[in-house]
Amino acid sequence: MQGRSFTRLALAALFAVAGALFLGQGAGRAAGIANSNKVDQQCLACHSIAGMEKELQGGEKLSLHVDGAKFAKSVHSMIGCAVCHGSVTLENHPPSKTKIPSLREYSIERTKVCASCHGEVLKLYQGSIHAALVRDGNPVAPICTDCHNPHTVKAKGAYDTATGAPCSKCHGSVFDAYAASVHGKAGLDCSNCHRAHDVNPATTGDQLKNACLGCHPDALAAHEIWLPNAAQHFETVSCPACHVPGAKRKVDLRLYDNVTKQSVAEKEGVPQFDNWVRSAKVKGGDLDAMALYSLLREFNRDPTDNKTTLRGRLELSKGIDAHRLMAKSQAIRDCARCHQQGADAFQSVTVSIVGPDGRPVRYGAKPEVLHSIVSMDSVSGFYAIGGTRIKLLDWLLVLAVMGGIGVPIGHMTVRWLFKKYAKKISGKEDS
Amino acid sequence: MPRIYVHPLPVRIWHWINALGFVAMLVTGFQIRYIGLFDLMSFRTAVVLHNWIGFVLIGNFFIWLAFYLFTDKIRVYHPELSPMKHFRASFRQAMFYGYGIFKGDPNPHHVSVYQKFNSMQSMSYQVIMLMLVPLQFYTGVLLWDVSRFSGMIDVLGGVRVVDTAHVLIFIFFAGFIPMHIYLATLGHTRMAHIRSMLTGYEEVEEEHGAGA
Repeated sequence: MQGRSFTRLALAALFAVAGALFLGQGAGRAAGIANSNKVDQQCLACHSIAGMEKELQGGEKLSLHVDGAKFAKSVHSMIGCAVCHGSVTLENHPPSKTKIPSLREYSIERTKVCASCHGEVLKLYQGSIHAALVRDGNPVAPICTDCHNPHTVKAKGAYDTATGAPCSKCHGSVFDAYAASVHGKAGLDCSNCHRAHDVNPATTGDQLKNACLGCHPDALAAHEIWLPNAAQHFETVSCPACHVPGAKRKVDLRLYDNVTKQSVAEKEGVPQFDNWVRSAKVKGGDLDAMALYSLLREFNRDPTDNKTTLRGRLELSKGIDAHRLMAKSQAIRDCARCHQQGADAFQSVTVSIVGPDGRPVRYGAKPEVLHSIVSMDSVSGFYAIGGTRIKLLDWLLVLAVMGGIGVPIGHMTVRWLFKKYAKKISGKEDS
Repeated sequence: MPRIYVHPLPVRIWHWINALGFVAMLVTGFQIRYIGLFDLMSFRTAVVLHNWIGFVLIGNFFIWLAFYLFTDKIRVYHPELSPMKHFRASFRQAMFYGYGIFKGDPNPHHVSVYQKFNSMQSMSYQVIMLMLVPLQFYTGVLLWDVSRFSGMIDVLGGVRVVDTAHVLIFIFFAGFIPMHIYLATLGHTRMAHIRSMLTGYEEVEEEHGAGA
């Protein structure tokens, strides 16, 4: 019923356009498309009508309305309608027979059109977490048209500093946290750190650290002035762990390949880590030191092959907190915040692997894994002096100090007693 | 009482720098490992001091090494090649410290220019000076700049392994140094050995001898 009325409306509009052109009335000008070519003007004669839409198979409505004035200002007005909608001709239009299952599927299908001009950008996007989520069937993961309205897109990019759109459409709470941060107040946008198209999971790889160092190239030199082992801190401590002083922190122990020098990734369809951890957790709660030891043995079947290890990284427990970066004067500079027993940073531990889609797969571990002598091998790549010290060594130290002081005191006491005894004996002998 | 010159000047300089340095390393080491348990100084101050003193001690070690390598005094470190002879002498020395000293027996070891160490000292100082001290310096340097030496640290099994080796030797010295000081007071007078390490001259009696 609606399809028929749409057809009637479209045909009426086409006739109207033809009549207007014939009479030289400049119908395009009336629709705000003064700069458009004649074909575009023909299209917009109908599609500039507000509320024009098409009902899809699933009952959703596909808007067919294009704001002519906004389109005229967009970068795509230069190429015109036909470049993207090449399959539409006056002979076959409107293609009412085309079956479109859903808005989502239509948008995904249309990315091929974007690729025809923006192939390089699409290639970047295909490697992103957003594309991985789309492939996984996530119904809200963004595709081209979720961030870029093809009829209003401008050259300066899709991001709106004031509202955080389009990122804030999905990451609203993150944007709110970020807007109050030192970077948010400075007017930087999300893509300054996360990049616009090749967005990676924040906790894998070095992309974010490199983003920090990209704008703060002297950061390492500035830290080396006061921070011992600054380079190592840069390696194992995420920037927000110190620069968001109030946030809860944790240690993430990542499976790491010593040969390839990269994080270990779970193979598609072979969830070795996932299966192993699940079976270990069935036995009870978070992973303990023995479980971690067994996990490493699982990944290093050959006893002489220790290519897989665990590398620890101190980061924030909640990703949202990483966006609350504060001015450097407020950052943590007190070493004791981490380097003492019971430090909050070491009360929460996870073990992770990079999942097949690039996102980390994490499981909880008991904080004791950082202090156990059993972890000597399995957690060999992470150690914070004082904060994750091995408790057995504390007892050895107590024994050594007691021995070092106690043995001389005992020896001295026995010598003194013998001296008195010897004097008594000799005194008796004299008498 | 006759005196013999057993501690040449370079050895005495090395010894006292080493003594002060090791005590400072123990104090700062305690502070680094147990910040919060006692707070003599800030963690950062302790780390910076620990690093600087560590490098001074490494330099000082080479004074000791060079002196003994390039003089005939190295004979004081020559090991006793007969295990039986060494065992007997060590047993006699242990019996003296564990029993004879209480009765007022004379020290079985007689100090001479080329035999200033008793057999127990000679064994333990070889282990300490040629194994534990270099290992402690080596692990200390690796921990001083973990990033720079990450390749070496990985070969050794990771930063936790290197730190544990460093801490185990620290624990040994935490026990050894008080004993060393006590043993130094077991000469014919309480200050005899300590004074000799200041002057270089050891007073020798017919029936008394070495200690620390």
